[in-house]
Amino acid sequence: MNAVEVSGLRKSYGKIQALQGVDLRVPAGAIYGLVGPNGAGKTTLIKALVGALRPDAGEVRVLGLDPLKEKWALRRQIGYMPQSYALYEDLSARDHLTFYGQGQNVADLPRKVGEILAFTELSERADDPVRTFSGGMKKRVSLACALIHDPRILFLDEPTAAVDPHLRRRSWQLFRTLAGRGITLLISTHLMEEALLCDQVTIMRQGQIVAMDTPERLMERGRSQLWVHQNGAAQQQVIPSTPAALATALHAYGLAAGIDAVHVRAESLEEIVLGIIQEQEAQS
Amino acid sequence: MRHVFIVGKRVITQLRHDKRLLAISLVGPLLIMYFLKIFLDGLNVAALTARYVIPFTAFIVHFLAFLLCAIVLVQERTGGTMERMFIAGFRRSEVIGGYIVGYFGLATLQAAVVLTETLWLFQLDYEAATLFNLFLVFWILAVVSVLLGIFISTFARREAHIFPFIPLVILPEMFLSGMLVDGDKLPVWGQWLGRLSPLHYANNAVQELIKGGVGLETIGRDLVILAAYAVVLLLVASRTLAEA
Ligand SMILES: Nc1ncnc2c1ncn2[C@@H]1O[C@H](COP(=O)(O)OP(=O)(O)OP(=O)(O)O)[C@@H](O)[C@H]1O
Ligand SMILES: [Mg+2]
Repeated sequence: MNAVEVSGLRKSYGKIQALQGVDLRVPAGAIYGLVGPNGAGKTTLIKALVGALRPDAGEVRVLGLDPLKEKWALRRQIGYMPQSYALYEDLSARDHLTFYGQGQNVADLPRKVGEILAFTELSERADDPVRTFSGGMKKRVSLACALIHDPRILFLDEPTAAVDPHLRRRSWQLFRTLAGRGITLLISTHLMEEALLCDQVTIMRQGQIVAMDTPERLMERGRSQLWVHQNGAAQQQVIPSTPAALATALHAYGLAAGIDAVHVRAESLEEIVLGIIQEQEAQS
Repeated sequence: MRHVFIVGKRVITQLRHDKRLLAISLVGPLLIMYFLKIFLDGLNVAALTARYVIPFTAFIVHFLAFLLCAIVLVQERTGGTMERMFIAGFRRSEVIGGYIVGYFGLATLQAAVVLTETLWLFQLDYEAATLFNLFLVFWILAVVSVLLGIFISTFARREAHIFPFIPLVILPEMFLSGMLVDGDKLPVWGQWLGRLSPLHYANNAVQELIKGGVGLETIGRDLVILAAYAVVLLLVASRTLAEA
């Protein structure tokens, strides 16, 4: 079963069409990335999935449940980390986890709180008020709040925005660990290097999905520049960024002993995604 | 019901950690009452002191409970924590209940402290029974005010939307509730408008109580109306509090 199934989802805010017919299928147990420029509709989509807004049209099923009609059954099974911190400045990380844990009837809560604090590396400052935390630490508290009840599916809206590279790496290790436990993660991001770490990536633009694929397959949509230095002369050519295309190109040179050096510069995912978006813009 | 206390406990923890807010809501009224004393001393109306001072104390409790609760709730909405609570499985009625429980504590403390401050500052003396009844009136008024704050907050998208209520609603309330001007001196439309305000009923009860020798049977009607006010606000607010 798919963890998330969406078809024909539409939502407007007045004149602005935030979602214009979105279809999405997120397989269970995967890390699913949602990328797209500001205002693409990522947050709106996530809010529709967690039941925080009422769509104008379309079907939404999360773990087979309707987020609005069956919200009480669903809310035990989903974790949601909003784009803003959404924390209480005067409460500590432990207070937050205790509050949401009690709300979700978590068994053996003090132990669980300790475990999640350790998992998100917050144990040392667990009892300081959140207002004394840095932005990255607040993000971790926010993530911890989404994890306290062992949800089966996590919706993370830009969990690593404003987080330093070291911590971002740590966060993605955490996400992988969670996915390894069979949890489905739907993560929105602006960072293409993060999209590469997902199992599947969906690219959104102006309320629509413009591409949906594995990062490897998306990368293969790009082009690579190939420089071959042979017998003292350099030759340049552009080939598709697929492993097979590279092999073919090299075969053409005969892989001779005369090859001194080979340079390959593949288009980055960022360039590819921008290309896809520009293509779409040209069409509409 | 368990969820109500979970929210209530969280609100109380927040209040406890916000020392500045506690100081403002407990020391602030003392300062205001002190200025009122200077004002009344200048007017030379010693015989009427209680008639103005005790209702004014009720007003302060009403005003602060309303304002604090409304602002904190608007912050919950703008900060995204309200949405988060609903997605984490709390219901509207539980959030409202939790706020009442949380602010009950503050309002009770405030009613007790402000009343004590006033009695001390103006050297007023009442029988134990009257004091108890005064406290009861303050307390019910505080609950109504918390609910009013919750209700009003459902119409606000930012904190700034709450502030117009101070000059537009709270100040007229002072004049129309009978607190400063006796009800029968007001124009008829003013009397009717005044009856919309919970302060009107609190003031009625307080004016009776400070005459002395008056028990619950006399103020019962006003208390019942205040309680009804609370119930209606509770029902309305649990419908208007938006989940997103
Ligand atoms: N509450 C709202 N009222 C009016 N318009 C809104 C509201 N929320 C979002 N929008 C509009 O809907 C569109 C999609 O917004 P959304 O927040 O979903 O984008 P996003 O992809 O999450 O962007 P970002 O990367 O900046 O977070 C935007 O055009 C935005 O202006
Ligand atoms: Mg967003």
